[in-house]
Amino acid sequence: MFMQTLVTGVAVGGVYALMAVGYSLIFSILNFSNFAYGSIIMLASYVGYFSLTSYGMPFPLAVVVTMLGAAALSLLNERISYSSLRKRNAPSLYFMISAMGTSIFLENMVYATIGASFKAYPPLFTQATVKLGSSTIGKLDLFAIIFSFTAIFILNYYINHTRTGIAIRAASYDSTIAQINGVNLTYVIGLVFILAGLLAGLSGVFLGLKYMAYPTMGWITNKAYVSAVIGGLGSLPGAVVGGLILGVLESLVSVYISSTIRDVFSFSFLICILLFMPSGLFGKYLEEKV
Amino acid sequence: MLKKLVTLILVCLLAVSLASCGGSSTSGGSGSVQPILIGHEVALTGGSALWGEAEKNALDMEIEKINANGGVLGRPIEIKRYDNKADQTEAVNVANRLVADKVVAIIGPAQSGVAIAATSVTEPAKLILIGTTTTNEKVTVDDDGKLHPYNFRTTIIDPYQGLVAANFALNDLQSKRAATFIDIGSDYSQGLAQHFIDVYTAGGGTIVTQEAFRSEELDYRAQLGKIKDAGVDLVFMPTMQKEAGLAMKQARELGLDCHFLGGDAWASIELIELGGAATEGCFYVNLASLEDPVLKDWVEEYKTKWGKEPVMPNPVFAVDALYAIIAAIEGTGGTDPDKMAEYIANLKDLKVLTGHMSMEPDTHNPTGKSAVIETVKDGAFTFYKGIS
Repeated sequence: MFMQTLVTGVAVGGVYALMAVGYSLIFSILNFSNFAYGSIIMLASYVGYFSLTSYGMPFPLAVVVTMLGAAALSLLNERISYSSLRKRNAPSLYFMISAMGTSIFLENMVYATIGASFKAYPPLFTQATVKLGSSTIGKLDLFAIIFSFTAIFILNYYINHTRTGIAIRAASYDSTIAQINGVNLTYVIGLVFILAGLLAGLSGVFLGLKYMAYPTMGWITNKAYVSAVIGGLGSLPGAVVGGLILGVLESLVSVYISSTIRDVFSFSFLICILLFMPSGLFGKYLEEKV
Repeated sequence: MLKKLVTLILVCLLAVSLASCGGSSTSGGSGSVQPILIGHEVALTGGSALWGEAEKNALDMEIEKINANGGVLGRPIEIKRYDNKADQTEAVNVANRLVADKVVAIIGPAQSGVAIAATSVTEPAKLILIGTTTTNEKVTVDDDGKLHPYNFRTTIIDPYQGLVAANFALNDLQSKRAATFIDIGSDYSQGLAQHFIDVYTAGGGTIVTQEAFRSEELDYRAQLGKIKDAGVDLVFMPTMQKEAGLAMKQARELGLDCHFLGGDAWASIELIELGGAATEGCFYVNLASLEDPVLKDWVEEYKTKWGKEPVMPNPVFAVDALYAIIAAIEGTGGTDPDKMAEYIANLKDLKVLTGHMSMEPDTHNPTGKSAVIETVKDGAFTFYKGIS
């Protein structure tokens, strides 16, 4: 029972981690929480759905199309909602409000165009399970975990070991100094949104496959956001660890304490973390940027 | 400057085009005679939109016929319809708007919790509210046993639904050990589960564990794993179709191989679309069935007009509510809310879509309504047995 709970927790946490990385990536460079990210994931889920059903694409192609589509949407999100604010040096509160507006707009646009009904993906991994000792894990979950961690690993490598990666990191520490040193900030920010969009595409497909696509599915990213905060907003390893901790903690609380107070528990945990470690587990800096 | 202007125009155009897609629709005749306004509180977006749309179609179809035949008291009927998204807060806003529109009565909401929320506005305004599938008894009688004088319903109540479900579990499915799995944010879910537990335990069954999730939650494997570990032969899950479909899918993945039993909220094709093969053989209590012989002609008419089957059970109860309101207007010769409420409370054998309806004056519940048990067979909803 304990092992099964742990396995379930890791499976849930893996998806949290994937989305949390997207949040953290954008926070690290623009220093605001992009609440429209959930809606990008939701749209990605629809892109995946229509690629698989209306266009009958094979699964790998559909994943690629969805990732590219989500990257384009994410870039569009930045160019339309944030770039003009950025050029005017608006405080981050304005970014956040703009993000919320974008999110509500996108959600309602889906209501008005595609409709409110739930879209179930075609059954690709039909209830197949893999035995891990005494516990079982769905093939899709296993696939999602492997894929998520590979994607995060590649991203981490890209950011730490390439020239553009260095530029991104430099801009995340201090965008002004980075610009003085010849980093094209508009380009770097666009790139960050594209990277976050690629991850959103991946999350969208997995969420759609595992559950379904529907207009308010962005809600699930609340938990991903909490994961990012637990891990320390802006830190990529933190986002991964935060996602796993939250997933496992939720499963354990549901099984050994009570499923009715699960959210009470996970959000109390968040408050405790923030009380003792205000910048999360892996938070990099506390001081105000001047 | 030009760029900004172009953006502004584009945004305006987009807003206008979206507004023309949705928005409230009105139907009914125009002319010199003042129409009678009837409000419709309905979910046209969100998770309950499928049933909301069916209610809308059914009412529009019925009102078209009534108006073609000269309306009521020589006046046409006009529906004022607003989307409440099956949300408590929205429902209160909609109720306020309907009060301002001066409607004579409201059809809907379809959800008990939402109807209870709307009552806080409609009762002080003396506005008749007839819930369509509001099965929770608190919609018409509050916690202290006090009757809401202007609230009615056209459907059966949860204690009856719980009774039907528990008896079916004990007698037909031979269930001895059951788990309940509910949506903690829903009055409907909590109430129905409690009624099930009362009858089930009184009938000799044991409730082994009671699990819950929060609305909008999608992953139930932790709870289902616990249920599996507890060793049950039945899970009673009075939730919406979305959660039920997903839960059954996840349960089968975990190897939890027991009966799943639900309430009327399961009756949407989405249950099968989301749950796939895992929903095969599940049972649920429904308030009305497409296969009910009384409804045969009406279902045909609906299919011809709208090109699809009505999503049960909401549309038939919405039409029943419309008939009750019209009977009250005709019976009292006007639209005085107190007289109308008294008239509806004492309805006797009114011919409605689902048969004949009478009202219990002290509970505002209809009598003579029956329930059905339906199941999923070969990927389609199938009538299993009728219970009256």
